[in-house]
Amino acid sequence: MKLARDDWFDLARKLDWTYGYVGERDVFPEEASGAPWLPHDAWAGWNEPFRTTYAEYVATQAQKEAAVHAVREAVGRPEDFQRHDRRWLSALKLHAATLPLAEFAATIGNLRAARFARDSAWRGTALLGALDELRHTQLPLVALHDLVKWDRQFDWTHRFYHSNDWVAIAARHVMDEMLLAADPIELAVATNFVFETGFTNLQFVGLSAMAHDVGDRMFETMLKSIQTDEARHAQIGPTVVRTLVAHDRARAQRLVDKWFWRHWLLFAVVTGFAMDYLTPLAHRRSSFKEFMQEWVLDQFARSLADVGLELPAYWPTFLESLDWYHHMVYASAYTYRATVWFDLAVPGPDERAWLRAKYPASWDALDPVWERVAERWRESGPGVEWYTHGTTPVGFCSLCQLVLCGGTPARNTAQVVDRDGRRYIFCSEPCRTIFEAEPERYAEHRDVVKQILAGEAPANLLELLRTHFGLTQDEWGKDVAGGDYPWLRR
Amino acid sequence: MLVPLYGFVAGDTLGILVLARDDETIASVAAQLQRAATVRVRPRARVRVLARGAVLDPAATVSASGLTALDRIDVVAAEEP
Repeated sequence: MKLARDDWFDLARKLDWTYGYVGERDVFPEEASGAPWLPHDAWAGWNEPFRTTYAEYVATQAQKEAAVHAVREAVGRPEDFQRHDRRWLSALKLHAATLPLAEFAATIGNLRAARFARDSAWRGTALLGALDELRHTQLPLVALHDLVKWDRQFDWTHRFYHSNDWVAIAARHVMDEMLLAADPIELAVATNFVFETGFTNLQFVGLSAMAHDVGDRMFETMLKSIQTDEARHAQIGPTVVRTLVAHDRARAQRLVDKWFWRHWLLFAVVTGFAMDYLTPLAHRRSSFKEFMQEWVLDQFARSLADVGLELPAYWPTFLESLDWYHHMVYASAYTYRATVWFDLAVPGPDERAWLRAKYPASWDALDPVWERVAERWRESGPGVEWYTHGTTPVGFCSLCQLVLCGGTPARNTAQVVDRDGRRYIFCSEPCRTIFEAEPERYAEHRDVVKQILAGEAPANLLELLRTHFGLTQDEWGKDVAGGDYPWLRR
Repeated sequence: MLVPLYGFVAGDTLGILVLARDDETIASVAAQLQRAATVRVRPRARVRVLARGAVLDPAATVSASGLTALDRIDVVAAEEP
């Protein structure tokens, strides 16, 4: 008799047996499987709401691959990308660099879960998740790295994580810990529950809509294709968190708090830049803050309530940072644009009016920075990049490794802390708290400033970005218009 | 001897690393910081320098002010609290 589909799934996914010749702790040691260590009975109820067989997985993925490659054949050539606004190309370069190798690290993390996660259904879902992530590594590499023959900056699609560029250091600091070092429990909380369910699953929906609006069919199709995979393997998260909450609620809350903040900072840089500065004004549907409020905050708050957890204690700080953080990093990055691999733009009068309308709580304090930048461009005239570029090294947070852009222009929230004879600086109170909860994990990491002071990196900015960050003159970021904006000439 | 300091200029968007000499005056360090931030913040004619919540004497040297490596200093407009 042929089994009904749901009966077949239960037969095929619950495959653990009781070990008689080895101990359960030997098969799943706590160091590899994660804390708290619980007997399998505690995990036996692990359940994924959306189930798939290997055969269904392969068939579905084959169709998705065919669709992406058909679009690439049609509109994925360099001449198709050359038609886009240069700002949008910068948004592409930013995502192209940060995405693919992080996805490969996620492949490794999922393979670890496929071996050491505590229930067979969890391990099976993680195994398909690993295949998803390998696909997400190769899709952007094949679609975007190929553009290097037209634009050298696309070389960073592959090179980014191999470099000591400050953004790459910050990204590796997160990805190494979350995807390569974390046990399956922390991986499920950090990646599936917080990052994918909280941020990227919906980000890919919003980003693909933006790509559609600017006419970038290649990126739109790729993101949609990736998002459907994310939605499936993200379901690992809630069911792991529920078991964790039942047995060690404090640890569950601590992990959620830590990873939401860590992801928020990097997400704000990548997606905040793209939505509020690098998407041409005519194609912006909403501000980054509106996107966060509509797609991330409500949904994340509901997810927490569903599993019996509370909003992080730093929530008011986080809500305030929605008005400030990515704006402060963008203005800082613009005036240090040669330290990154993509070009940046000065927001013109129309854009600044839009930003003022979208960010009434903060724009009055941010606008003078852009007024000053515009003033410097007027003084120098077009083409004189270094007149609107910083020349002094900047400070980096000892936890997130990003520039010290916390708080507001009037009151930066950076904090200097002495600990065990060493001095650390944090961009914010949450970064300090996360560091102090696990100092053994972070204390040895040397940010760019510490590397300079140790003689491991040059203090001279040009030397730093050439020899340490690995940028060449034809790759490093410039103003998208070389300072030659029509509104500046008026 | 050079003393690396984290400097924050009011109105700026990020912290800057400044290498001060231990015999350099606080006024000179403030000027150095304002120059480093000038692409984002128009330099002010009159400023105060704060460290650990206290106002530093602009004529005092870095070492006499008790500043040590990787301390934080803030350059604010003279009229600001």
